[in-house]
Amino acid sequence: METAELKEQLKKQVVEFLNLSTVNPADIKDDEPLFGEGLGLDSIDSIELIVLLGREYGVDIKDPKEGRKILTSINTMAAYIEEHRTK
Amino acid sequence: MYIHQTYCISAQQDLLQDDIEQINEPIDKKLLAIEPSYEKIPPGILRRMGKSIRMGVGAALPLISETKVDGIILGSANAGMDDCVKFLNQMVQYEEGQLTPGSFVQSTGNVIAGQLGLITKNKGYNITHIHLGLAFENALLDAMMQLNANASNSYLVGGVDEISPFHYNIETLAGSYKSEDISNKKLYESDSPGCVVGEGATMFIVNNSADGAIAKVKAISSLHSSDLDLVQQQLKSFLQKNLAEGETIDLFLSGENGDNRTLPFYQAVESIAGEDTAIVRYKHMTGDFATASALGLWYACQFLKNQSLPGHMLKRQSSKAAFSNILIYNNFKGVQHSFVLVSAN
Amino acid sequence: MSRIFITGMGIVSAVGNSVAANHEALKANTCGIQYKLDLFPSKYAGLLPFGLVALSNEELLKALKVTESGVTRTSLLGLYALNEALADSKISTEEIQSFDTALIGANTVGGMCLTDELYNDANAKTDGSDYLGSYDCASVNLFLQRHLKINGVINTINTACSSSANAIMYGAMLMNNGYARRAIVGGTDSLAKFTINGFNSLHILSNEICTPFDEGRKGLNLGEGAAWLILEKEEDIKGKNVYAELTGYSNANDAYHPSSLSDEGDGPFLSMQGALKLAKLTPDKIDFINAHGTGTENNDEVESRAMIRLFGKPPAFASTKGNVGHTLGAAGAIEAVYSILSLQHQEVYANLHFKNTIPSTGLTPVEWYTKMPVNHVMSNSFGFGGNCSSLIFSKV
Repeated sequence: METAELKEQLKKQVVEFLNLSTVNPADIKDDEPLFGEGLGLDSIDSIELIVLLGREYGVDIKDPKEGRKILTSINTMAAYIEEHRTK
Repeated sequence: MYIHQTYCISAQQDLLQDDIEQINEPIDKKLLAIEPSYEKIPPGILRRMGKSIRMGVGAALPLISETKVDGIILGSANAGMDDCVKFLNQMVQYEEGQLTPGSFVQSTGNVIAGQLGLITKNKGYNITHIHLGLAFENALLDAMMQLNANASNSYLVGGVDEISPFHYNIETLAGSYKSEDISNKKLYESDSPGCVVGEGATMFIVNNSADGAIAKVKAISSLHSSDLDLVQQQLKSFLQKNLAEGETIDLFLSGENGDNRTLPFYQAVESIAGEDTAIVRYKHMTGDFATASALGLWYACQFLKNQSLPGHMLKRQSSKAAFSNILIYNNFKGVQHSFVLVSAN
Repeated sequence: MSRIFITGMGIVSAVGNSVAANHEALKANTCGIQYKLDLFPSKYAGLLPFGLVALSNEELLKALKVTESGVTRTSLLGLYALNEALADSKISTEEIQSFDTALIGANTVGGMCLTDELYNDANAKTDGSDYLGSYDCASVNLFLQRHLKINGVINTINTACSSSANAIMYGAMLMNNGYARRAIVGGTDSLAKFTINGFNSLHILSNEICTPFDEGRKGLNLGEGAAWLILEKEEDIKGKNVYAELTGYSNANDAYHPSSLSDEGDGPFLSMQGALKLAKLTPDKIDFINAHGTGTENNDEVESRAMIRLFGKPPAFASTKGNVGHTLGAAGAIEAVYSILSLQHQEVYANLHFKNTIPSTGLTPVEWYTKMPVNHVMSNSFGFGGNCSSLIFSKV
């Protein structure tokens, strides 16, 4: 899968998984911070996203602190997935 | 304790409707709440909320987003139940694997009061009473006691419950609901077991100030029993204790719900209410659920405010031109009984 | 306001099935948390440690002579501890059933311990199990009401992990306001696959025995149990065993996050402060704090910070979660019993498994069982939804 395609798919999955009904996936910028400002996600969302990556891409993130770095933006998530995906 | 503001979300419009033809009918045997657009709930928080949480927070925010209260006191039998089973289903589906915590965090019974504290930054008294058909009555009683200890405070008091699909399945299996389809207009004529299920959220602002109040909550009492005589006996002593010499009940607001198993209790209470007491019913509009009596109190406030009674709510008229004392009696599943005495100031 | 005293106690936990057994276990630094789970099948059996009560459901049913169907483990544990409290207080059947005796209980699990039955019933996959009326948390007190024929005010409270502290508080308020002459107050919770997976999904369960207030703490261990107190007024205690006086209680909200505490611990600070105010005590009068101390990174650090904020130099404190695990809705009541034991016997119990002080707080909990003068004990309970409560018990 091309990186651009992966990012597009990720945006849709994030919106759907976190029930961000007011957000249009296409409006999320690749380097936009997902937490704090930007999308405004919180610590519960970060755990939800770790589960998402596990279920969809077979990526196993054990330490939630490490997770927060990986989940900074769509770019960082995509980069981590491309390197570690098992499905 | 005085009620100053009210807000409710139920299967009907939030005003007294005179015309029964305008009353929403059950859909698929359920009286589903008409939900507003929840503009006051931040979208980032709204996205995670199940229906009861949404309704509870959505009914409370119009009252407390601008007016500060000193505490949040809620009654809800099953808030969080929907998320609880969602989490359970996830647990079974993924065989206890990696699970998303969102629904677990929303599954605790105190979630609505907690969210309200969070959204309105209210660090005061915060509690959730979950004692099924007396959850709201305990919340009311709690507010009264808080006001006895802190006379100048104001509190948010409310009752919330939803028809979650899972809870509906459990109660259907338990035989709580009518098996036949029934119109609101025929509810009280149906001589069959079960009620029509409803849902809703009702919120009140209460304090000790009589100034400009809609109603005064004079007294509350509750009882667990399936003994008809004991219920009558308790009501008599409740009235004796809380009505002054010569004072009578002007209006009896009955929680009659069309279930022929609990009807004898309502009839027994009617017989004590006095001959010139009007009898009024509301559950053909709201349906029944554990905290439906909060909507009952909301109707009592409307009656006192408007001094009018819609014809379709009347079971028996009285000759009185105006009314002040209202007795609300509710019976949940034949075991949990509550008496609430309300008056115009 | 009338003075309120504790005249009876009952408890069942991972370290014992009676007040006496719990007392001996606390003195002996007994840890009841084990890598053993035989209540139900779970992926985590043997992998995570739990604080289980050493009584099977069959043993409970037999001991309690319960023949009614559809009674959950949560209810059975509740009744087991309640029987001890009632017998201990020597209140008569007549008093138990009188219209001015209240029953206020807390639990957060209810019938959710029955994972398979709930799954099948809620998803309408069966014709209905025996437990249709037992899933909600109110079912526990409805069972106790039927069993004991209680006629006074009955209530169930859920403020997550601070539930039973609020039940104790509500009982006292009913007595102060003339709605009850005496109150039976407490809480119960049984271990459930649901809570194991729930807390695990939040990454706050430790796979090792929990180490409250230790720098290297990795999270909490779930436990189960029940405890009850009998509250009576001053005029009714003549000739009775009086264990302690309930002098302070308070409830506040942290208003910060659905499942964790704020950095400065506003909720814990306000609940501790409110309890002191009601008890008319200055902070220096508190001799010991039974801390909430779950062993999670967030709780222990924030609770420490709030104690420092309020007390300056906090008094002796310890968490008993290292003995029995986190018993959720029962925790406030179980720890009330432990606080009262400290007053009764003039001693404090060790915070088990502690090794190193958390550097940012510099606080060290009580490390050994110690005899010392104890006049006032504060007990903290904090829960999801920002629900914080503190109680103060005083020596009589």
